Amino acid sequence: MYQGQENGELNILRARFTIWLEKLIKNAKIDYLRKLKKTPETMSIEELFESEEPIGDKDIVIPSQKMTFDFEEERLAKAFYELPLMKRKILEMLFVEEIKPEEIAKKLNCSSQYVYNQKFRAIKTLREQLCKGENTDE
Amino acid sequence: MNDIDFYTTLQGAIAGNHKDLESILVMYESLIRKYCYFNGKYDEDLHQYILIRIVLKISKFII
Repeated sequence: MYQGQENGELNILRARFTIWLEKLIKNAKIDYLRKLKKTPETMSIEELFESEEPIGDKDIVIPSQKMTFDFEEERLAKAFYELPLMKRKILEMLFVEEIKPEEIAKKLNCSSQYVYNQKFRAIKTLREQLCKGENTDE
Repeated sequence: MNDIDFYTTLQGAIAGNHKDLESILVMYESLIRKYCYFNGKYDEDLHQYILIRIVLKISKFII
């Protein structure tokens, strides 16, 4: 009877140790992964110089050089000047002069809903024109 | 290994006996290995890290 009790206790000890060890391993893994995340990737200076090509004239970008962004803007301007006069005027007032639609409606002697509609249609036309331009470029 | 052997081995490992500690590590090798997989790959460094952690902390276990 006594031996059986002792065996049971030892069995419990074994189970307790297994649970404790598993917890320890889990925590160690979490710590390891945390450390791995914190450590940024490092590279020796020698490797850096070997991998990087020398900086040439091509790498220096002069802002005045024609870039894709300028090209987009140019196309946008072209599409804008193709819009009907009223739409152009409304867009100018909205985005350049930053006047509220209600005030524009008063100035143009029309309803504010008309201003909103014109704005929406104008932007839609511009978008279509730009998309069309992109497709023809490709 | 029966329970009494395990008890003596664990006691030895806690006391700092290298052989007993090794026996414990061998006994729990599969459990340790189970946690050494990260992103589906076995990580040798993680294995080392866990072993070091066990060696350092086993003395804290209260029998």
